[in-house]
Amino acid sequence: MAACFRNEPMFIDFFYSLKNAGIQVSPTSFLTLQKALDMGLINSLDEFYTSARAILVKSERYFDVYDQIFAHRFEGAELPEYQGIEIDDISRAMLEEWLKTPRDLAHALDMDEAELLQLTPDELIEYFKARLEDQKGRHYGGATWIGTGGTSPVGHFGHHPGGMRVGGVSRDTSAVKLALERRYKDYTRSGLLTQNMVGEALKRLRNMIPVGPEDKIDIDKTIYQTMKNCGEIEIVFSRSLKDRLKVILAIDNGGWSMDPYIPVIQTLFDYARSQFKDLKTCFFHNTVYDVLWEDPARVNRPLKVENFSTFDPQTRLVIVGDASMAPYELMAADGSIHVKERSGKPSIEQLKFLAQTFPHCVWLNPASSQMWDYTPTINTIRQIFPMFELSLDGLEEAVRHLMAK
Amino acid sequence: MASNILNKKFTDATRYVLDDELASIVNVTMALEMPLLLKGEPGTGKTMLAHAIAESLAMPLIVLNVKSSMKLVDALYQYDTLTRLNDSRFGDSHRNVSNIEDYIKMGKIGQAFASKSRTVLLIDEIDKADTDFQDDMLDVLDQMEFDIIEIDKTMKAEHRPVIIITSNATKDLSDPFLGRCNFHHIAFPDPKMMRKIIAVHFPEIDSKLMENVVITFYRVRRIDAIEKKPATRELINWIRALKSDPDFKPKALAKGNIPYLGVLFKKSQDCERAVKATNRGRVF
Repeated sequence: MAACFRNEPMFIDFFYSLKNAGIQVSPTSFLTLQKALDMGLINSLDEFYTSARAILVKSERYFDVYDQIFAHRFEGAELPEYQGIEIDDISRAMLEEWLKTPRDLAHALDMDEAELLQLTPDELIEYFKARLEDQKGRHYGGATWIGTGGTSPVGHFGHHPGGMRVGGVSRDTSAVKLALERRYKDYTRSGLLTQNMVGEALKRLRNMIPVGPEDKIDIDKTIYQTMKNCGEIEIVFSRSLKDRLKVILAIDNGGWSMDPYIPVIQTLFDYARSQFKDLKTCFFHNTVYDVLWEDPARVNRPLKVENFSTFDPQTRLVIVGDASMAPYELMAADGSIHVKERSGKPSIEQLKFLAQTFPHCVWLNPASSQMWDYTPTINTIRQIFPMFELSLDGLEEAVRHLMAK
Repeated sequence: MASNILNKKFTDATRYVLDDELASIVNVTMALEMPLLLKGEPGTGKTMLAHAIAESLAMPLIVLNVKSSMKLVDALYQYDTLTRLNDSRFGDSHRNVSNIEDYIKMGKIGQAFASKSRTVLLIDEIDKADTDFQDDMLDVLDQMEFDIIEIDKTMKAEHRPVIIITSNATKDLSDPFLGRCNFHHIAFPDPKMMRKIIAVHFPEIDSKLMENVVITFYRVRRIDAIEKKPATRELINWIRALKSDPDFKPKALAKGNIPYLGVLFKKSQDCERAVKATNRGRVF
């Protein structure tokens, strides 16, 4: 049996089709598989399926792709046609969206909400499909989301006010991965950021300071003291290291532009609250003027920005916002859209002040980094704060930046 | 054929239900002498697998519980300076103070290397440590040796242990790490598998109870917006709780009356949501 896999060109083909499908298969692991075959460990196609997967594929995210290619190579199954299935997927996502926010979707599709309300879920899906099929002409690249990068309201990064992301927050979901209803399908889509994932990304954000009771033996000092005492042992204790990082989390919680990101930010916020002992959370709308607010409603507990200079400069400042607004809101001295906020200082000055006060600062933007270039205010703010995407990878980079000396 | 190469082959253990896929992966991995990285939801039996392997192959099991603050050297060996200092002052022990080797204690990896027989080394929750720890550790496991600096000695493994590594991380580990081990993702058991698992834990369980419990369990797992879904461990504990309640009738479950939700849902928010959902009968 082993021999029949070994010198088959089909087998080498299999390796390359995995590679071409974006699975990171290394030549070393390929050789390991050869070794396993040589040793006679693999005696049936079933065993080949499981062993080759364990040896070659190192993440459950690729299991689904592996399944398809395996079926294609060894059982002659056709590789799936991505288009149709994808449309199914998108329409299902749209249905979910519809159930959550009927008005937004109706608006996005330029439809009357009442009209859509009369349809049953099945009819809705059919309707969405038809709409999506209509849009095929506007595709930017074959097997990707419809209307990618365009101004279509149902597309991924539409500029349309009611535009929403179809199919979750993550952007690294390729069409291939969505292809079939397979066992591992759930693992291929990275979906929403969960508290766990945020936790993992923020894990390295800490600052160890000795605190608590002196219960840890300091060996170097003990030896030193003992020598000083002419060999009479004196044990020296010290405090153990604990994380005492100071963090200010400022969240843009105003306006419709941030609405789609509320669940993600909620997660970040929940995690931050349980993780950091010394956390100050404040809120703003679009950008920072004279004050940040400690209450989410931005009414009762203002915090003057100028007072921030009294805080420990080692504090990590994390600002979360889409940084998208009309340019005058940022630049003009009376830019605030709230009439009461009139200090004479443009917001951009306040932002610069914050960035200078806290050298360890980042701006997390829930909008996709691909779209940043299209919004002038994002570009301006990026010059003041290092900006990162509010995604798992972006968070990790942000943490690396925050911890840099 | 494989049994010629492996003296022993891994099959079912007493308390662990093994699926064929996983069994063949474990056997191939053992024959290739590579570490096996297991991922999967908490409660899918990643840790239990190592226990089962050790039991079925009658090898000693050594468990290294990884902690976030852990340094690699802690897992390898420890130089007990304080005891040596004490001995040098009072000199009333059998140890030879001028021989540093007497004060080297083996860590978990060191113990696995030093063992006279082949062992199963379980490295639990590797994702808790930082990336450097992971990569350095794999180097040690690859070479099967490490240096003890204090006595300038190289510790070499007599028998290559069977290494099982578990990770709960949703994010992938680093590439060099993954390159060195085989990988398997344990999916959450389907109802059929779950019945087998329950039967292993409760051999004399009543079939009506089993049916109702499994159906209810998969239903409550589907409740929306649950942060931590109940897993096998919770289910087993829950059945234990139900069985110990003399007033409990399996029929009650089918009616949507679910006692001891707190055993299934460990987070207070989840528990509240579950209570709400079951009260409204939304899960049924």
